[in-house]
Amino acid sequence: MTRGRKWAAIPGLALIAAVATVLSAYSGAQAGAPAQAATAAQPPVATPTDTAVLRQQRDTLAEPGPWAYSAASSDQGYAPEQPVNFPHPVHVQSLQMNCVYCHFAADKSPDPGMPAVGTCMGCHTVVAAGKPEIQKLAKYYNEKKPVPWVRIHKVPDYVHFPHMRHVDAGVTCQSCHGQVQNMPRVYQYSSLNMGWCVSCHVERKARYDCATCHY
Amino acid sequence: MSIDTGSAGVKRRDFLKVLGAAGAAGATIGCGTDDVGKLIPYLESPDNTVPGVSNYYATTCRECAAGCGVIAEVRDGRAIKLEGNPEHPLNRGALCSTGQAALQGLYNPDRYRGPMAREGGRLVPTTWEKALATLGQQLTGARGNAGATFINQSESGSFPVFLDQWLSAFGLPAHLSYDADLPASAVQAHREVYGVAWPTFDFTATRLVVSIGADFLDNWGASVPQQLSWGDARAKLADAPRLVYIGARRSLTGLNADEWIAARPGSELLVAQALFGEGDVAQAAQAAGVSAEQLQRLATELRGGTPSLALAGTSGPDATEVALAAARFNQARGAVGTSVKPAQPVLGFEGGASYADVRALVQRMNAGQVPVLMVRGANPAFTTPRSLGFADAMGKVPFKVSFSSFPDETSELCDLVLPDHHALETWGIAQPVPGTISLQQPTMTRPVFNTRPTGDVLMAVSKATAVGAGAYAAYADYAAWIRAQFPGGPSALAAALPTGIARGSVPARSAPASAAAPVAAPAAPARAEGELHLVVYPSPLLGTGSGGNKPWLQELADPVTKISWQSWVEIHPLTARRLAVVNGDHLTVQTATGSVTAPAYLYLGIQPDTVAIALGRGHTAYGRYAKGIGINPLDILAGGEDSRSGALSLVTTARVTKAAGHADLVTTEGSARQHGRNIAQAVAVSALAALQPAELQPGGRFGSSNATENAPYGGVVPGTEQGHGGGHDIPGLPSSKPLPGLRSPIAADAQGELADSSGKDLGMYDQEHWSGMAKRRWAMTVDLARCTGCSACVTACYAENNIPTVGAPWQGRATSPVTWDETPGANIVKGREMTWIRLERYFEGGEDGSADFETRFIPMLCQHCGNAPCEPVCPVYATYHSPDGLNVQVYNRCVGTRYCSNNCPYKVRYFNWFGFGEPNRRQYAFPEPLNWQLNPDVTVRGKGVMEKCTFCVQRIREAENRAKLEGRPLEGDEFTVACAQACPSRAITFGDAADASWSVAQLAVDRRAYHVFEELNTFTAVVYLKKVNHAAPSASPTA
Amino acid sequence: MGTVAARPEPEVGLPNIPSANVQLPAVRDYEQVDREIAATLNPTKAWFGALGLSFLMMLIGAAAWTYQIYWGLGQAGYAPPVMWGVYIITFVFWVGIGHAGTLISAILYLFRAGFRTTIYRCAEAMTVFAVMTAGLFPIIHIGRPWKAFWLIPYPNWRLIWPQFKSPLVWDVFAISTYLTISATFLYVGLVPDIAVLRDREKNPVRRKILSVLSMGWQNTEREWRHFTRAYLFLAAFSTPLVLSVHSVVSFDFSVALVPGWHTTIFPPYFVAGAIFSGIGMVFTIIIPIRKWFNLKHYVTLNHLDAAAKLCLFTSMVVGCAYLIEFWVAWYSGNPYETNFFWNRVFGQWWWAAWIMLTCNMILPLSLFSQKLRRNTTWLFILSLFINLGMWYERFVIVVPSLSHEFEPWQWTAYVPSWVDMAFLIGSFGWFFMWFLLFIKQLPVLAIAEVKEIVPPQLRTAHPEGLTPAGLHKPYMADTPGEFD
Repeated sequence: MTRGRKWAAIPGLALIAAVATVLSAYSGAQAGAPAQAATAAQPPVATPTDTAVLRQQRDTLAEPGPWAYSAASSDQGYAPEQPVNFPHPVHVQSLQMNCVYCHFAADKSPDPGMPAVGTCMGCHTVVAAGKPEIQKLAKYYNEKKPVPWVRIHKVPDYVHFPHMRHVDAGVTCQSCHGQVQNMPRVYQYSSLNMGWCVSCHVERKARYDCATCHY
Repeated sequence: MSIDTGSAGVKRRDFLKVLGAAGAAGATIGCGTDDVGKLIPYLESPDNTVPGVSNYYATTCRECAAGCGVIAEVRDGRAIKLEGNPEHPLNRGALCSTGQAALQGLYNPDRYRGPMAREGGRLVPTTWEKALATLGQQLTGARGNAGATFINQSESGSFPVFLDQWLSAFGLPAHLSYDADLPASAVQAHREVYGVAWPTFDFTATRLVVSIGADFLDNWGASVPQQLSWGDARAKLADAPRLVYIGARRSLTGLNADEWIAARPGSELLVAQALFGEGDVAQAAQAAGVSAEQLQRLATELRGGTPSLALAGTSGPDATEVALAAARFNQARGAVGTSVKPAQPVLGFEGGASYADVRALVQRMNAGQVPVLMVRGANPAFTTPRSLGFADAMGKVPFKVSFSSFPDETSELCDLVLPDHHALETWGIAQPVPGTISLQQPTMTRPVFNTRPTGDVLMAVSKATAVGAGAYAAYADYAAWIRAQFPGGPSALAAALPTGIARGSVPARSAPASAAAPVAAPAAPARAEGELHLVVYPSPLLGTGSGGNKPWLQELADPVTKISWQSWVEIHPLTARRLAVVNGDHLTVQTATGSVTAPAYLYLGIQPDTVAIALGRGHTAYGRYAKGIGINPLDILAGGEDSRSGALSLVTTARVTKAAGHADLVTTEGSARQHGRNIAQAVAVSALAALQPAELQPGGRFGSSNATENAPYGGVVPGTEQGHGGGHDIPGLPSSKPLPGLRSPIAADAQGELADSSGKDLGMYDQEHWSGMAKRRWAMTVDLARCTGCSACVTACYAENNIPTVGAPWQGRATSPVTWDETPGANIVKGREMTWIRLERYFEGGEDGSADFETRFIPMLCQHCGNAPCEPVCPVYATYHSPDGLNVQVYNRCVGTRYCSNNCPYKVRYFNWFGFGEPNRRQYAFPEPLNWQLNPDVTVRGKGVMEKCTFCVQRIREAENRAKLEGRPLEGDEFTVACAQACPSRAITFGDAADASWSVAQLAVDRRAYHVFEELNTFTAVVYLKKVNHAAPSASPTA
Repeated sequence: MGTVAARPEPEVGLPNIPSANVQLPAVRDYEQVDREIAATLNPTKAWFGALGLSFLMMLIGAAAWTYQIYWGLGQAGYAPPVMWGVYIITFVFWVGIGHAGTLISAILYLFRAGFRTTIYRCAEAMTVFAVMTAGLFPIIHIGRPWKAFWLIPYPNWRLIWPQFKSPLVWDVFAISTYLTISATFLYVGLVPDIAVLRDREKNPVRRKILSVLSMGWQNTEREWRHFTRAYLFLAAFSTPLVLSVHSVVSFDFSVALVPGWHTTIFPPYFVAGAIFSGIGMVFTIIIPIRKWFNLKHYVTLNHLDAAAKLCLFTSMVVGCAYLIEFWVAWYSGNPYETNFFWNRVFGQWWWAAWIMLTCNMILPLSLFSQKLRRNTTWLFILSLFINLGMWYERFVIVVPSLSHEFEPWQWTAYVPSWVDMAFLIGSFGWFFMWFLLFIKQLPVLAIAEVKEIVPPQLRTAHPEGLTPAGLHKPYMADTPGEFD
């Protein structure tokens, strides 16, 4: 090919590259349906070794928003070690406890509420009092210290997420938090990115102009 | 992250963390100060507390003697907002700036952390045990000594009784209830004529109010009830009372007057006699330096049939005489019972000691007759003239105890400091009016600092020393005693807690008659050649100084001069010209007892032979926000007294000279003239009838009866019929046929007129996305006939919306890479104050310096334009129009181009120039624990973002959520915004203009309604109702 | 190009040189052109000094930026409602500077105005660097510069896009387009010259680099054919940009409803002003260069004379725009406008307005005198005044308008702070740093195009042009337009 043609090729290549970037950024429009994505997952109820946890996360994370390329970062999959290893599966599956038994404000307050240590001790003064984890718990209680749980699900401070409105609208806890009842160790199931919120609001025909959440 | 998010400072969900910072691990609330990334649960869940949902506790405001009822909004254990208690007979839901700022007293970063004792000349922290031991031992020593004195703040209710009991048990004399803000002369006159210290004034029953220096809208007596009544009275429009103000200085009350008679200080008595009695008008006019015709006209008017009310609140040596003249006039004219209601006195003003008593005390102290001095809630070392030498006298007192929470001038001199709980942390009973008890209950889960209620302390002492312990044997603490005192006992008290109000009375203290014979200052201070009168007056915001340590009050521009963070000397422009002085030039005011220097403020509203200085600033202690700000005119007062009431005379003469130097006035005032722009409009009462109720004009705006008179475009408003074409259709938007002014095409869009079901998804304007928000148009009306310019709305906005104060000395900018501009208010000088709502004060007339000028106050806030200029210019969509008609500012999207502000005709957008909201920044506005007050529902803005009035969108959302949970639609007037809630003259109304069940919908089509800059086609959601001017009968109407 | 007053008749046999004539009598042949222009590329002490100074100034600006990002915009002199200040002023100032380059290189090329030949390279480079400087300021002036990329439309997870109604977004497109095109234009024009340098280069590394940059230019007929096509195309392509870019910049103001901004005259007014300021800057740059680089016989007085006429013309356009603004303000009868303009010219801001009027309207009238047009000292001084005046023009547009808007209660004053000044200094440092680097790497005169205007009879060395020793005869000195 002549030298002239060679140079003429450059803009063409650049154009193709640009188009490819934009297209590759789009990872499918069927986001906003994290619930289905969740049901697909069947994580093992096992003693939480990190590998197991990590595997779960790999398997059972929610779909990201429609645009994978984003300035927004996400802690999706974050599964910190908790001061007391609280097994949701035991309480929810075996003991059939309802979420709002402990997270008592989820249906009446923007803040779902964390169970008071006293609430835990309500049962655990007698139940399984011998177990090492329970003894940790009791230690906190007796020292009149609250348990410093590590926060996992957090949206920025300029986002107002009223839990009760979502519970009231029939959004299950699992749609955002994943199958917590199956999680030996709780991890951040959804990306909690704005696109993830918006796609659900669009889907459910909820109001989604900025001032719905940002003020 | 605070940088990335545009939100900073205290995080919404950090509250338990913040609470934890209060100190030791609490019994009920866990605490962890370590990390934001922690979820700290309760240890035991407290009763009736839902995290993230506010509780409301009714209690009583103790910032002044009146004792208004407040409702404290408490979130996760901390009070975050104070609002008036609608049930309360005094303030009926309103609350003044001072009352709202009580929160910044509670969370003041300079409060005493715990008890302090003097060791080696300085106050050092000590333990309560040691402190109480010392106190007990000293008191047993001073037992039975008639010299020992307890100075308590002036308050109604049970504590004074408790205190006197306790003192008598120790054989000590009853306490001095000293309130420097108390208008003692008026109280004296009221007692003599009406038999009560402070009757209720009802302005709705009269047609003419003559006020001789009685600033009943500033802080003369119980200002909030008086403002409420005045607002209601003026709202009667044609039947409203006309206000004539007589005095050397036009105070806030004076600026609200329809007519001002600029009488020289000292001439008030003559004027009063001329008006109310048989005095000689000509002589009075001559003395006052006003026109005899004017006085004569007023005198005749007063003798005529119109129901009139006379008030006198002068501060000269003959103050009581003047007040008596006024009171007797009311009596003679039968105003007593109708306009003056002694049957409903404000009890807070009973039993106050006068300045003379304090002077007598100082004499005793100097004579060494005072072994022990105890001070609570008063700061006499600051609020008495330096010439009195209270501070020096304290040096002669062997043992001095302060119960003050703050390191004020008095407590700094004490040997022992036993910091009291803040009023919002204690139990108490107030008796604002006869037959009604106002409860005071703790609003905090736990006190902020290691303080103790003085009641508890006193009890503990008497139990420890077994002196009069018997009286308290039954009670664990003061709270228990209170419960027992309460008529009906604990159960009744529990029943009364929800409203905070109860019928009944508690035994009141019988105040000892003042022992001290007043030393009369020379009657009418004669003015030597080259001297000017000097008038000193308590600041409407800072009082005589108690407000000084609260940044909200320091930052809030003085309602009259619009100056903050600074002291100033008011001087008439003509006098200033004579002295070759311009705004900001330093003036030295020299009296016999000293001199002060402060920048000059050229003020039309002061009598030309007079200068005036406000009290309240010039602290030498009292914390970082007060210390070293401004000057204290008490330093140069000779301390003469009113011959009858023993009140301190605040009038003297002084030599005023231009000093070297110049200081920029820390003012929010740009131009005080409207330049014919009709921002604050008024209508003469005579022209009122001619106003037509607003009709829908083509173009959907008001039939501008004012447009033809005074529209800037020579009467032709573009886009109206008179203009071209009529209508204001915006290309591409079909609708322009909404309610008057309230629904722009865009808001009309929110009404669904653009929703095209056949079209594709309309994004946020798609009805399907509204969650039932479709039919709303949030709007506001401001009635300028009611507005007095008191600025309580501004403070309410600061409190509700986490607005930073920017005027503190360390918040300025760098003047070089190594030096900072540390003049107080440096940011405000550059116009960087963040007042989402501001009070503009425009003068009409008086350009020639004459006393005949009119003042118009207008609160200016984001107008939430339906067709907002700010919206299209924002490159990142950080501001846009919401379907329910709000002009929304999205902080976390804003990149800070400030284009929106440039394009805003109302200039109501404010920029975060520094990290005002970011901890560990030099300019941080909420030093611990002030940040406890922050509203968790409102983002704290970081640096580099725009912010503005949101119409309290967080309250709208909160109400929507509540309604949704209860499965009902929003009801009319269900909630309101912070400014409207606080307004003591009820000028502001907020609501949904698209829904007739909200009262704003009717007010918006009132015949006086207009929009500011209507000709710009912004279709504002804020509708102003024209002020109504009441011209003197003979004078020509001025509108 | 009207001819001018009587001058000594040229001697017979020599090319007649009216002031508009742009031939270069002192240039004998192509070799001389190559040699003399390539000679300008040798670094000198003075050059290193200048570069060091401008680098230092750039550092001052950089430091100021770091400081401001840490503390916040409050460190600048902003006094609300004056929410825009020195940064936007300087932004518009530099964009304006940028315009003359493209005008000279593109439009005058299309019009075949020969005098552009020797100054256009300089102007074009100035354009690129000026736009590079200007482009920084919109980022500097925003509150959260680390979020500036939000103004660029890109697919993102938030599903939100810029507000395309906002002139600031138009700016993003206008400026980036302009920078791209003018840079391309500059580079394309450089290709043959780089080839010349390549052929004269001894150092193998530099030679390699140059040969890459010259795209293997072989000076064939075919290459010339493509080259001239491409060059013509780019000239045509960038011509509308000269008009569009500054029109868009003017929309930043005229789209707003601020009195003093909201006027339809802004686009033409801004374009004229931009070209005017650009030519001013061209003088500021070219006059020292032709002196220090011994290029007086390339950039002849005739060229400067012609450019000065252009300067005079644009100055009068700008002046006309000023007067029309005042007239409209009066004629509209709009109290906001009249009140504002009175305040601008006779009130609070009279000093700024009069600096502007003097520098941009009154002083340039001196160019009616040919003597002054041909007096390089005066041209240089005048050009400094023009730069000052045009900066103040933007000051007068931005600041007084904002300080004196609809709401009297918010009327205010404005004083820039030391941080503002640091940025101003920094911007000059940044600009001159790049420019100085440029002029020692690449020819500041367009070798190829200069060759085109060498008179045909002189293009190759010929007997009567040579001494017996085979050297060039000394050039006769009495030709007008030859030496200062």
